[in-house]
Amino acid sequence: MTKYSMYTKMIWNALLRRRSRMLIALLAVAIGATVVSGLVTIYYDVPRQMGREFRSYGANLLLTPAGDQQVMTQNLVANATTLLPSDKLIGIAPYLYDRIKLNEQPFLVAGTHFQAVKKVSPYWQIRGEWPVDQSEDIVIGAEVAERLEIEPGQQVTLAVAGNETEKKVKVAGILRTGGSEENFIFLDLSLLQQMLKKEGVISIAQVSITANEAELNTLTQQIGEQVPGVAPRLVKQVTQSEQTVLGKLQALVYLVTIVVLLLTLICVATTMMAVVTERRKEIGLKKALGAENRSIIFEFLGEGLALGALGGLLGTVLGFFFAQAVSVNVFGRMISFQPLIALLALVVSIAVTGLACLIPVKIATEVEPAIVLRGE
Amino acid sequence: MFWEMLKGALVRQSRKMFMVAITIALGVSLTTAMLNVMLDVGDKVNRELKAYGANITVIPRAASVLRDVYGIEASSGKTGQYLQEADVGKLKTIFWANNIVAFSPLLETKATVGSDDITVVGTWFNRQLELPTGEVVETGIKELKSWWTVEGNWINDADIKGAMVGSTLARKLNLHIGDSVEIALPGGTQREALTVQGIFNSGGAEDDQIFVTLPFVQQGLNLPGKIGKIEVSAITTPENELARKAAHDPKSLSLKEWETWYCTAYVSSIAYQIEEAVGDSRAKPVRQVAESEGTILQKTQLLMLLITGLSLAGSALGISNLLMANIMERSREFGLLKALGATDRDVLLLTLTEIMTTGLVGGIAGYFLGLGFAQIIGHNVFGTAVAINGMVIPWVIISVILITLVGSLPAMRMLLSLRPAAVLHGR
Repeated sequence: MTKYSMYTKMIWNALLRRRSRMLIALLAVAIGATVVSGLVTIYYDVPRQMGREFRSYGANLLLTPAGDQQVMTQNLVANATTLLPSDKLIGIAPYLYDRIKLNEQPFLVAGTHFQAVKKVSPYWQIRGEWPVDQSEDIVIGAEVAERLEIEPGQQVTLAVAGNETEKKVKVAGILRTGGSEENFIFLDLSLLQQMLKKEGVISIAQVSITANEAELNTLTQQIGEQVPGVAPRLVKQVTQSEQTVLGKLQALVYLVTIVVLLLTLICVATTMMAVVTERRKEIGLKKALGAENRSIIFEFLGEGLALGALGGLLGTVLGFFFAQAVSVNVFGRMISFQPLIALLALVVSIAVTGLACLIPVKIATEVEPAIVLRGE
Repeated sequence: MFWEMLKGALVRQSRKMFMVAITIALGVSLTTAMLNVMLDVGDKVNRELKAYGANITVIPRAASVLRDVYGIEASSGKTGQYLQEADVGKLKTIFWANNIVAFSPLLETKATVGSDDITVVGTWFNRQLELPTGEVVETGIKELKSWWTVEGNWINDADIKGAMVGSTLARKLNLHIGDSVEIALPGGTQREALTVQGIFNSGGAEDDQIFVTLPFVQQGLNLPGKIGKIEVSAITTPENELARKAAHDPKSLSLKEWETWYCTAYVSSIAYQIEEAVGDSRAKPVRQVAESEGTILQKTQLLMLLITGLSLAGSALGISNLLMANIMERSREFGLLKALGATDRDVLLLTLTEIMTTGLVGGIAGYFLGLGFAQIIGHNVFGTAVAINGMVIPWVIISVILITLVGSLPAMRMLLSLRPAAVLHGR
C-alpha cells in the first residue's frame, strides 16, 4: 500500500519538478501521436473520399433491357433501384432514345431527367443554360447546333415522324462532351414519352454509384437474378481504371505513412533518450541510497508510460483534427471519428515512449554509482 | 581558441551530437522524400489516369459536312473525306509531343458476317512508327486501351488475316479463338476469311465490333493510306478559366494570354496544336476524360501537399525538441563558461556554430537518404523512378537552417538567462 503511494508520488514529482524537460518530452510524444493518428485516419479515408471524386467520370453501371427488347418499363428500373444501397448512390439518369425531326431534319433524340444527368455526368459542358425544371426547354449537341447554326435561346420546331403535331420549344443550351452526345438532342423524358406515345418506358438507365469492382459485381448479379427484364452491365473502362488508380493512390499514402511513422518514432525515441540520459546522476544517487536496479527501471518505466499516455491522448485528438482539416480542405467533406485508430495511436505512443526510456535507463543502471556521482 | 573549443565540444559530446545529427538527417530525409514525391505525383497519377482512354479524338474537318448531306445514316466507311495515314506521325512533332502517351488511327466500316451487319474497325495494334525526326515510337490500341481484357493474343500488325472479336459479338456468333470468320466488306464481292486471334472485353460499344489490321480495311474499301479518325491519349494540365476561354475561341485571347495558353499542356491547346499539325483535321477533347482527370489530379496534389506539411511540421518540432533537450542538459557547462568570463555573445556563437555544423552533416546525409526513400516509394507504387527535382535542394537548405535556428531559440533564451552561480551550485 505505502509502497505504491510512494511509487506514484515519486513519478508524479519527477514529472512536475522537472517541468520544462518533461514538457519537451511530452511535446515530442504528442507530435508523434498526432502524425500517427492523422496519417492513419487519412489512409483509411482516402479510398472512400477519392471514390466519390472518381464518380465525375460518369456512370459505372448501366441498366439495359434484357434479351432482345429495345425498351423496358420505368417500374422495372425502380425495382432494380431498390436493390442499390441508397447511401452510396450518386444518381440514376434514365434515357429514352429515338429519332425526331428538328426544323424538318432527322436527328437522334434522347429523353432524360436533366437534374439526374447533372449528378451522373458532371462533365457535360453546357453553353447557355440547363433547362429549367418542368419546362419544355431542350439541350442540343454541339454538332447538331453547328450544322443548323442554332444559338442558345433560339426557338426550334420538333416533330415526330408519323405524327403531324409539331412543338415549338426553346433551346436552353448547347452541349459539348467531345463524345457521341454531341450528335443528340436532349429533352425532358416525360415530354418525349408523350410525343412518341411511349409512356412509362425507357431504353437505358445510367447509374453512378460509389462502389469498388467486387461490390459492383455482386450488385449486377443481384439485379440480374431478382429483376427479370433488366440486364445490368458494368462500364468496364470506368470501373477497372478506377480500381487501378485508387489502388495506386492508397499504396502511395500507405508507403508515405510508413516512412513518416518510422521517422517520427525515431525522433520521439531520440528525444526521450536525451531526456533520460541526462538523469544518470539521479540514477547513481538512487543506487547509492540502496535502490535496486529493478525498482529504478520500474520507476522510469512508470514515468515513460505516464508521459506516453498523456502525449498520446493529446496527439490523438490533434491528429483527428488534422485529418478532419485535410478532408474538409481537399474533399469538402467531414470524416467520422475512428475509435480503433485512436486506440492504435495511444498504444503505439505508450509503447514507443516506454521502450525509448528503457534503453538509456538500462545502460545507466549498469554504471557504478561512485563513478557517476563523482562526475563522469 | 574558438575553434579549439568548438572541436572540443564536438568531440567530447560526440555521442550526443551524433544523436542530434541523426535526428536532423531523418527530418531532412523526410523533407526531401516528401517534396520530391509531391512534385512528381501529378505526373505519375496522370499517367495512371491514362487508363481511362483517349482524351482527344481527331476527325476529318469535312466529317460534319458529310453528315449534313447524308443525314445521320451516312457511315464514314462509304464515301467522304478522310485523314491521311501518313499524317499520324505528325502528332509527335507538336510542341507538347512528349505529353502524347499513345495514339492510334482507326478506320471503321459496316460489313456483313453471315447474315449480320456488324462494325469492322481497322487499326494499329502495336506499331513501331518511325518519326520524321528519326525517333521510333511504339503505339497502337494495345497501349491506348489498356483496360481491355484479352483472351488469346493481340494481333501482330503484319498479320493481315488476323482479327480480334468483341466478347458480346463472339458469344452471339459463337466464335472461339482459332475459328475462322468470313467478312464481306461493302463494295467487295468476295468474302475474306480471317482467323480469330483474340477475344476482348472492353465493357463498351467495342464489344459488338471486330478489330482487324488497318491495311485489311483500306484494301477492302479501296482507300489506301486513308483513315477515319485518330484517338489520342495525352497528359494534360487541369483546365482553368483561361483554358475554357481559349477552348471556346482561341482568337479571343490577348497575345500574352495566347502565349501562356499555347505553352501550357491544356487539353484544348494540345488539340489546337494537333489541328495545326495534321492537315484538314478537327481535334476534339473528350470532356468526360479531360475534366475528371483535372479534378482527381488536383485533389491528389492537395492531399500530398497537406501530408507533406504535416510531416515537415512533425520533423521540425522533433528536431527543435531534441536541440532544446541537448542544450538544457549542458547548462552546467555554459554556466561554467560564463563564470570564467565568457560573454553571452561568445556562448551563443559557440553553441550556434556547434549546432550548425551538426545540422550540415546531418542535412547532407539526410538529403541522400531522402532520395532513396523517394525512389522506394516511386518503385513500389508506380513502378517507375521518381524524378529528382533540383528545386528541392534550396528548400531543404532553407528548412534546415530555419528549423535548427528556430528550434534552438527557446534554448538560447534559456542560455542567456543562466545565472552561473545557480547553475554551478547545482540548484
